[in-house]
Amino acid sequence: MRAPDGPPVTAGDVLLSIDNVSLSFGGVKAVSGVSFDIRKGEIRAIIGPNGAGKTSMLNIINGFYHPQEGVITYKGEARAKMRPHDAADGGIARTFQNVALFRGMTALDNIMAGRTLKMRRNMFWQMLRVGPALAEEVEHRHRVEEIIDFLKIQEIRRTPVSRLPYGLQKRVELGRALAMEPELLLLDEPMAGMNIEEKEDMSRFILDVNDHYGTTIALIEHDMGVVMDLSDRVVVLDHGIKIADGTPNEVKSNQAVIDAYLGVAH
Amino acid sequence: MFYRETGQFKSSYAADMAIFPIRQDRIALWVVLAAAFVAVPLLDFFQVWPFGGEYILRAILIPFLILSLAAIGLNILTGYCGQLSLGSGAFMAIGAYSTYKFCTGVHIPLELFTISIPPLPVLPSILLGALMSAFVGILFGIPSLRIKGLYLAVATLAAQFFFDWVFIRVKWFTNYTSSGSVAAPDLVFFGFTVTTPIHRYLLCLVFVSIFALLAKNLVRGNIGRQWMATRDMDIAAELMGIRPLYAKLSAFALSSFVMGVAGALWAFVYLGAWEPLAFNIDRSFQILFMVIIGGLGSILGSFLGAAFILVLPILLDQVPHALGVPVSVETVSLLVFVVTGALICWLLIVEPRGFARLWSTGKEKLRLWPYPY
Ligand SMILES: Nc1ncnc2c1ncn2[C@@H]1O[C@H](COP(=O)(O)OP(=O)(O)O)[C@@H](O)[C@H]1O
Ligand SMILES: [Mg+2]
Repeated sequence: MRAPDGPPVTAGDVLLSIDNVSLSFGGVKAVSGVSFDIRKGEIRAIIGPNGAGKTSMLNIINGFYHPQEGVITYKGEARAKMRPHDAADGGIARTFQNVALFRGMTALDNIMAGRTLKMRRNMFWQMLRVGPALAEEVEHRHRVEEIIDFLKIQEIRRTPVSRLPYGLQKRVELGRALAMEPELLLLDEPMAGMNIEEKEDMSRFILDVNDHYGTTIALIEHDMGVVMDLSDRVVVLDHGIKIADGTPNEVKSNQAVIDAYLGVAH
Repeated sequence: MFYRETGQFKSSYAADMAIFPIRQDRIALWVVLAAAFVAVPLLDFFQVWPFGGEYILRAILIPFLILSLAAIGLNILTGYCGQLSLGSGAFMAIGAYSTYKFCTGVHIPLELFTISIPPLPVLPSILLGALMSAFVGILFGIPSLRIKGLYLAVATLAAQFFFDWVFIRVKWFTNYTSSGSVAAPDLVFFGFTVTTPIHRYLLCLVFVSIFALLAKNLVRGNIGRQWMATRDMDIAAELMGIRPLYAKLSAFALSSFVMGVAGALWAFVYLGAWEPLAFNIDRSFQILFMVIIGGLGSILGSFLGAAFILVLPILLDQVPHALGVPVSVETVSLLVFVVTGALICWLLIVEPRGFARLWSTGKEKLRLWPYPY
C-alpha cells in the first residue's frame, strides 16, 4: 500500500485531484461531494468560514482521514486507502492549524526529524556513528542548515521549541515540513495569530518556496488579502460543500462567496 | 576559567555535533573517565579507600554502574520514546536467567527434535540473554501500538508479575535447585577469571561505558529523533513518515536489551547468587524513580538518578550518625521513602526533566554569567 510513485508530473499538469469526496463523522458531514484539483507548481488556496471542512480536506489529502466516498488521484494514480506515513513517502508534507511541533526537542532536531525518510543508515550504523553514518548525519545537517538560513532562525536552532514565541514556532514547523522536500506542501492557516510583520515574512517564505523549489502548495488562510496576493487559484468551501473555484478575482466577486462570508442564511 | 563557548568556533558540522561541543564539558568528561578508569584502580591498589576497605566499591560503585545501565535502558523507552514501563525488573530478570541458562547449557527435548546448546562462555551468554530480553520486550511492546500512558503501564506491570511468577514456578530456569536460588558460574572473560571487587568494578565500567556511548549515539541520531517525535506528538510524527510500529518496537527492543545486560550484570557480577526477588516490582520502581529524578530523556540523567537513589539512603544513614544523632534502621528506610517521594513530587511540578535539566539550565546561566542576557 505504498503511495503511488507514478510518472513525474510536469508543471501545470494536475498533481492531485479530488473527485466527489465525502467525509462524515457519525452524523456530521464535514465534507460532501467536493471535487477540485491542484496543479503542479501552483499555490492553491482553500478558504471558507470556520467549520467549512478545510482542515478535514487536508487530513483527507494526507491520509489521516479516510473519506467514505470519492476518489483521490495523486500523480496520475487513483490512491488506495493509505496511512499518513505512506502519504509522507509519496512527497506530501504539512503544517498544522495548531502548531504540532515536537515540544521536547530543539528547533534543529525538529527540522532534522523532517529528514527521517531521506536517511538510510540503519540502527547499527547510527549506534556506531562513524564513517557512513556520521557522513549521512552531516550531509543532512547541511541541508537543514540551508533551511534554517532560509527561514532566518539561526539564533534559535538550539532552543527547545516549547520556549519559542508562537510566530517562530510556526516558522520552525514550516522548516520541518520543508526538510521533507515535499512535492505537495499543505499549510493549515500558517499565519493565524500573527501580526502584520510576521504575516509578511511568512508570505515571503511561502512565495520563495514555491519559486525556488517549485513546490506545489495548498494553503488554508483566512486573511483575504494574503490569499489574493499568494494564490494562483482558490477553492471555497462552506458547510462541507464547494461553493466556488477559480482565480482570486473570480472568487472575490462570486455572490455565493460573499454570502457565505457575510453569513447570509442558506 | 569561565565556562564559555566563545572563541571555540566549530569548523564543521561534525565538530558541532560532537557529544560535548563545549571544551569545558569535554574536559569534564575526560576527568570523570580518568577517575573511573585510573584513579579508582589506583586507590584500590594502594588500599587508600576513604571510609576504609572495599565498601565503596562493593556497596556503591558496582551497584551504581549496573543500575545506571538499567536506567539508561528504561530512559530509552520512557524518557526518549515516551512509553511508560513498570516492567524493568522483568526485563532484567529475563536477561539474568537467560544468561544463566546459556552459561549452564540449554536442553529442551521437544516432540520432534531436541534443542540442545552446550554451555557457552559468559560474554556470549550475556549478549544472548539480552537478546532474549529484547525479544520479550518486542512482544510486550506490541500493545503500545494501540494503548498509551497508564494503560500501557498496566500492560508492562502484567509483564512484571508474569515473569516474577515464571522464575519462581518454572524450575527449569533455575536448573531445579531446591531453594530456587541460583549461583552464577565463574566469570571467565577471554580466559581471565574476574573475582576481586576491583575487577568486577572494571568489568561493569567497561560494559556501562560502551553502552552509554552507543545509547548516546542512538538518541542523537535519526532513530533517537524518531523516538522523541513519537513521544512528543505521535500524529505529527506519523505524518512526517515516521512509522509508529518501527519507532516504538525498536525502543522496546533496545531498551530491554540494555536492561537485560544490566540484569545479567546485577545477578552475575553484583549479587553472585540470587533469587527471583532480586528483580521484583520494587526494582522496577527503583529504576523508574532514577529515571524521573535524574532526567527523562537524558543519558547523563540516568547516571545522576542512579547516583542519587543509591547514595540517598547511605547519606541519611551516615550524616545523622556523624552528627551524633543516632537514627534507627527503620527510621532511615522511612526517611528514604519520604525524601524520594517528596523529591519526585517536587521535580514533577518544578522540573519534569529532572536533575539533568537543572544541570543544563545551570550551565546555560553560567555561560551568560555575569550578564543575565
Ligand atoms: N475528528 C473529528 N470528529 C468529529 N467531527 C469533526 C472532526 N474533525 C472535524 N470535525 C467536524 O467537521 C467539520 C469541519 O471541520 P474542519 O475541517 O476542522 O473545519 P475548518 O478547518 O474549515 O474550520 C466541523 O463541523 C467539525 O466539527
Ligand atoms: Mg481548520
